[in-house]
Amino acid sequence: MTASRLGVVVAVVVVVAVLAALPLFSSDVIIQFGINALLLAVLAQGWNIIGGYTGYASFGNSVFYGLGSYGVAIAMVQWNLPFGVGMIFGAALAVAFAFLLGVPVLRLKGHYFAIATLGLAQVMSAIVSNIGIAGQNIGLVLPPLNNDHLFYELSLGLLVIATLTVFWLTRSRFGFGLIAIRENEEGASVMGVNTTLYKVLAFALSGVFTALAGGIHAYWITFLDPESAFDISLNVKMIIMAVFGGPGTVLGPVLGAFVLSAVSEILSSKVTNLAGLFFGVVVVAAVVLMPRGVADVMRQFRRTGWRYFAENLRAHRI
Amino acid sequence: MDLLAQVLINGVLLGGLYAVMALGLALVWGVLNIVNLAHGAFIMLGAYLAWHLYTYLGIDPFLGLPVTAIIMFCVGYALQRGLLNLVVRAPMFNTLLITFGLEVVLTYLAQLAFSADFRTINPPYAGNSIALGPLVVPLARLMAFGVAVVLTVGVWVFLLRTKLGRAIRATAQNLVAARLYGVEPRHLYAVTFGIGIGLAGAAGCLYGTVSQINPYIGATLTAKCFAISIIGGLDNPLGVLVGGLVLGIIESLTVLYVGATFGDVASFGILVLVLIVRPSGLLGKTT
Amino acid sequence: MAHAVLRAAGALLLALVVTLLGAPAFAQDIVLGASVQLTGPVANTGRYYKDAYEFAIDKINAAGGVKVGDTKHKLVLKLYDNQSDVNLSVRQYTQLISQDKVNLLLGPFASNFALADSAVSEKYEVPMVQGGGASDQIFSRKFKYIFGTLAPASNYFASTIDMLKQLSPAPKTVALLYADDAFDVSVAKGTQPLIEKAGLKAVIDERYTSNASDFNSLLSQIKSANADAVLVAGHETEILNFVRQAKSLAAAPKMYSFTVGVPSEDFRKALGKDADYAFGMTAWLPSTSLKDRWFGDAVQFAAAYKAKYGYDPDYHAASGAADVEALAEAIETAGTLDPKTVRDAIAKLNFPSLYGTIAFAENGQISLAQTVIQVQADKVVAIYGGKGFIEKPKYPMPAWNAR
Repeated sequence: MTASRLGVVVAVVVVVAVLAALPLFSSDVIIQFGINALLLAVLAQGWNIIGGYTGYASFGNSVFYGLGSYGVAIAMVQWNLPFGVGMIFGAALAVAFAFLLGVPVLRLKGHYFAIATLGLAQVMSAIVSNIGIAGQNIGLVLPPLNNDHLFYELSLGLLVIATLTVFWLTRSRFGFGLIAIRENEEGASVMGVNTTLYKVLAFALSGVFTALAGGIHAYWITFLDPESAFDISLNVKMIIMAVFGGPGTVLGPVLGAFVLSAVSEILSSKVTNLAGLFFGVVVVAAVVLMPRGVADVMRQFRRTGWRYFAENLRAHRI
Repeated sequence: MDLLAQVLINGVLLGGLYAVMALGLALVWGVLNIVNLAHGAFIMLGAYLAWHLYTYLGIDPFLGLPVTAIIMFCVGYALQRGLLNLVVRAPMFNTLLITFGLEVVLTYLAQLAFSADFRTINPPYAGNSIALGPLVVPLARLMAFGVAVVLTVGVWVFLLRTKLGRAIRATAQNLVAARLYGVEPRHLYAVTFGIGIGLAGAAGCLYGTVSQINPYIGATLTAKCFAISIIGGLDNPLGVLVGGLVLGIIESLTVLYVGATFGDVASFGILVLVLIVRPSGLLGKTT
Repeated sequence: MAHAVLRAAGALLLALVVTLLGAPAFAQDIVLGASVQLTGPVANTGRYYKDAYEFAIDKINAAGGVKVGDTKHKLVLKLYDNQSDVNLSVRQYTQLISQDKVNLLLGPFASNFALADSAVSEKYEVPMVQGGGASDQIFSRKFKYIFGTLAPASNYFASTIDMLKQLSPAPKTVALLYADDAFDVSVAKGTQPLIEKAGLKAVIDERYTSNASDFNSLLSQIKSANADAVLVAGHETEILNFVRQAKSLAAAPKMYSFTVGVPSEDFRKALGKDADYAFGMTAWLPSTSLKDRWFGDAVQFAAAYKAKYGYDPDYHAASGAADVEALAEAIETAGTLDPKTVRDAIAKLNFPSLYGTIAFAENGQISLAQTVIQVQADKVVAIYGGKGFIEKPKYPMPAWNAR
């Protein structure tokens, strides 16, 4: 391992350790913000697997999130099972969904795939709002657990596992297959990659992390209903964070999630009225000026300086 | 039997309204390959514009439709020329993200400008109806249906028969070749998007007359318009009529026979089904 | 040496002056925290709470403030906009308590918000008095720190159904429509047995999707089933669409009644003449019989409110003002700002206010009867209350083209 690689690893370990110790010396509000940011980072990382590496922009990750949330809620509220079992149940639901509906939907390309997943999210939300065991449209109220430290460490742990998984992707045959699919699917298929299997596996993997994050969130907030569990704008948020940070990179989505969460939270607590407006403006500006994400900016800035943004514009406009 | 007939009439007229709403989105998507997630927000803006024209200048929403459409056309042209043209050649979902950002911005600006209350455009004939025996045909919706047919056929004729329409289609298919022919793509893209937004504005006029307006109606309208566009198919502007009718009728029948909480299951279920089975839509060509 | 002494003296003098100038005329302020929907889809009603809270706090301060022991304190409001996002609301309440260190909490609007936010007040054991959530679910969790000034959802149609029995020609069939959110389902669950007990037949009993904009199918069914009375539990935008579409489909049952909308001015303005004949209910009407320590009575409250904000207050605003008064009274009774003691004082409250008698049941919810109201020629008229008819109702509703 080269010196710079070792440096990166050490830096990452230090950061994780600091993050893990954060709850011990910070206020409740910071911990709450931390849990939120960590969960968003997990979602962004999960999306990264199917969107960033495989190139299929999924708007259906909110379905996995909802299934994970409802898995935990139904298990704990209706069947009195412990949280861990609920999490496994939620993840199982997500995997089942990924396989059952992934196969037909992943045959679609580009916009059509995105819209199909968007449609799926709406359908699931509408179906769940009619299911009695899920509390229909009123939702469910979970037993309260007053232990933010635990949720924080769980979220951090999940993020670490998700990031390590993405890291493993970048050096595994499976991951190379996904990248090949993203760059040239027909070519990949000709070269012997089982594109359908790989895509569905990526979808399922993405789904597992998203579902687990949903489960943690549901227990933490102690309340869920179809609208908040299958929220499309949450899906858009995870895409924005992944794209803002740098899709198809290991740490990009995490970075994007942390930065955008911080911006959004500061706005919400200081400028409240214009918080949402500002967020929208930031999104528009980011897409125009840095479509390949912050990670790419950091990589290229040293070489091209401020011309980086102008070049992006010239490359993408007509 | 009467009930079924009435519900079918409701469905057909609802379909007409849906078709007008989706026409702009389908045009921009089908021709320019730009998926406009802010489409519903433009319908909302068109509705507010029509409301102001009606409340302060007394301009009837149906007669004033061209006025609203033209103003919205200018807005759309400026937006495409000034902002969206910057990301046309970027990866596909950049347009999704930027239009999403736009949707957020437009909704907030509307809330700041108009507050969160709800308004209606209430010309004196808005609640009238025509009686056909035991059946009732709401007048405003019937007129909206008429507008839908006129606009859809108009767009179809424009794209397939006029020089400008052909130029637009050519540009969208092959940017380089179009340039070689002396066509200015930036202008044409902006014109097309402008037409799409103008149509959204027209839909807003109609929507405000039959429903209510508040800054937040954009998102649900956009989702519906997606379903309509896909079901009908993006290759042919007449597809939105088909898509709208299918959706309107099925939604109305679902409420009657299944339950009033299953409308969305039906609409988006059909969307997903069409995408899986026949992605080019009911009127699209299967290549 | 002299320089140094002079400089020190000057600094000391400066510090003294600054301290004296900065010292408040009253002792430390009492901070009330709230997270309310000022933007987002529910903002139209959320803003009533911000206005009401500020209005009541200003009035109490003008009268000298709140007495704790021997000292008077001013009330201060710390308000956040939760953008109609429940998750953000939960985080904001946590911030109010743990970072902004507010003394007590005022609530958000809407049952689903109150449901989620009451978990925070319970966790930190800081009492919250909210006037925006009426769903029975909020109060069935055996929480001790949540109180509500909106009457129970399940009771909303009780006085209306009572009135139906006494109308002539008496309606025989009822159509019950309700949105699928917590509040409206609570209303429906409470209304169904009442309909049965009154000897009426529910020919239509239909739950519909919240935020629905198309009621044509349902209206056609109502016409086809010949329902005499139509009861709708839903949100203002839905009810607006319902009425307009009823007109365009020429659907005119003998009467229809709505859980929200009728009491609020901009609902009536949006419908114009079409709002006529609509029944609704409210637990509050500005009447001189509702005496208040700070406002005199409810009529004076309504007049002063309209003068300041430009719109007539409805029961949401009155409820919000009552929340502030409840906290003020509880603090004075408790004689301290300790949350647990104040909580016990709130539970034992029983005092008259512009909103009515403020007294909470064991589960934390107030108990108020709904008065049936009707829109008659642009005005809201109280029709039927606990003691029977107040005014004559315009019944039955004529066909739309015969108005």
